[in-house]
Amino acid sequence: MTGPSPAQFAQAMTAFARVVGAANVATSEEDRAGYWDAFSPADDPAAGAPQGAVAPASVEEVQAVVRIANERRIPLWPISRGKNFGYGGAAPRIPGVVMLDLIRMDRIIEVNADHGYVILEPGVGFDQLFRHLVDNKIPLWMSAPAHTWGSVLGNALERGVGYTPYGEHASKICGMEIVLADGSLMRTGMGAMPGSRTGPLFPYGFGPQWDGAFAQSNYGIVTKMGLWLMPEPESTLELRMQLSRVEDLGPAVDALRPLKLAGVVQANPSFGNVIRGLATRATRSTYWQGTGPMPPEALEAARKQAGIGHWNFSVRLFGDEKINEINAAKVRAAFAAKVPDEFKESRWHKGEDLRGSGSPTPTLNALGVVDWLGGRGAHLTFSPVSAFTGVEAMKQYRTVRGLFESHGFDYYGGFTAGQRYLNHITMIVFDRDDDKQRASANALFDKLIDTAAANGWGEYRTHTLWYDKVAKSYSYNNNALLRFNERVKDAVDPNGIIAPGRMGIWPRAYRQGKGK
Amino acid sequence: MRARLILPLGGIGLAVTAATLAAQVPPPFAGRALFQARCAGCHNDGAFGTKVLSRRANPAVLDQRQDLNAVMVRIVVRRGIGQMPAIRRAELGDAELDSIAAYLQKEQSK
Repeated sequence: MTGPSPAQFAQAMTAFARVVGAANVATSEEDRAGYWDAFSPADDPAAGAPQGAVAPASVEEVQAVVRIANERRIPLWPISRGKNFGYGGAAPRIPGVVMLDLIRMDRIIEVNADHGYVILEPGVGFDQLFRHLVDNKIPLWMSAPAHTWGSVLGNALERGVGYTPYGEHASKICGMEIVLADGSLMRTGMGAMPGSRTGPLFPYGFGPQWDGAFAQSNYGIVTKMGLWLMPEPESTLELRMQLSRVEDLGPAVDALRPLKLAGVVQANPSFGNVIRGLATRATRSTYWQGTGPMPPEALEAARKQAGIGHWNFSVRLFGDEKINEINAAKVRAAFAAKVPDEFKESRWHKGEDLRGSGSPTPTLNALGVVDWLGGRGAHLTFSPVSAFTGVEAMKQYRTVRGLFESHGFDYYGGFTAGQRYLNHITMIVFDRDDDKQRASANALFDKLIDTAAANGWGEYRTHTLWYDKVAKSYSYNNNALLRFNERVKDAVDPNGIIAPGRMGIWPRAYRQGKGK
Repeated sequence: MRARLILPLGGIGLAVTAATLAAQVPPPFAGRALFQARCAGCHNDGAFGTKVLSRRANPAVLDQRQDLNAVMVRIVVRRGIGQMPAIRRAELGDAELDSIAAYLQKEQSK
């Protein structure tokens, strides 16, 4: 694939500027560098810089930009807010693209308290949505991931995870507006019918249901999304537990499974390991001054010093107070039969300070993980899905931890419970200024993907630099799924201008050099 | 409006867009309000950025520091530093960044 010449690129940028205004087109080195992955494990992050960026403020501007790009074969890399940290941030898969930066499209178009939904644009951050709901006294709660800097829409498209009963964000999407590669505009589901009032209510519409095809893909540019929000509960009841033995993860997982399956627990409890608990409190040297992964005795001492468990989790119940108490009794009984540790409990009632309620209040503290080693830290996130059994979770934990430690890293991880699965979210925390450690991080990531695939463990989401490797690990019948994904790509974006290579899906024109 | 900008639940008010702030807040307060809205999530007392900076600066809260100048602030914000990612122009415009930088430098002369 030969990209546009410098002259063609310059002409396209001039055309983009006529659409969005010169101030919203960027080509300077400083502007381009702003789209690098801040936590890149690459030898030279600058090598992946885009050629430029264009930041439209409306769907009409997006359409006009895409038409120009399609006519001139300029590859675009759309981002919502660009805060996909640990998974590549805003960075494109290949250099030479023009970033389609949608952060200026930050309108909350409608919030409907009666029906429990919001319609919003890609630039709306979790903080913005939180403030909008609180300031306008709208009795709905959002769900958010660990840090709230990112895009609500973008996170749902990445299938991000939160910790309320609505924490499986992708499953709460209901209707999209999409700019296609030829610049045309499409609405999915009931939104395809002019005058319909059920777009954000009934997710299926008539015929194929397409919302899912625009998540983790490169088939179009989502410019609006309907997303369900949960009604503010009357109360919440939190049961927190610290497991004092590493091996009790398995029994705890088995205790939780029937509670999740039956709907007794509707939120997504997350079993976080000791390093996850320590890393946002202080740097590693506070607890241990050696090199290599912390040995078991150091971890035991550190967890006691910090007052945390080898695994730490909370089961939070949302809703009517009496029902919460009944369900809390079920939770207590289920865990008491499996593990020796006991719950600590706290309760929240409507009208009290939202902090501690389970409603995700704005925070960036989760980004503190990158400070674990005390240098110019960074993190790479490896996220395989596990079957919801203690045996499988323990096997995956021991396998992944073993690989982390054999490559010189502390195992940082947690298992977040869906209704029928566990998302095992782990982070390789490394020092960007330590070449050897950076190389080990890269080698570890390769090894993790291979080992996981050999065990039938697939990632639910991955880092930009490993799109191809993970896509290929879903290899049933000679990669039938990937080949289908690329057939769709060729049909809906024949010039291959939208996010070439995203999720390992390459347009025809790029396929020869793919993965290189 | 001002109270909402300055202390929205723990001081994090990234919700308010820079353009809205610039339009609604009188100039002497714009830098401070923008700092609270756009930077305080990491740079308030107890926040992540403050924790990192406390290893090499005292005070570590940015708007209590006496050693910042506007040029340095602009460079750090645009290029990122240490654990801090760069903040690009589409997210924080030059005029807003200038306001924040001037506010942080102004603190120095107090």
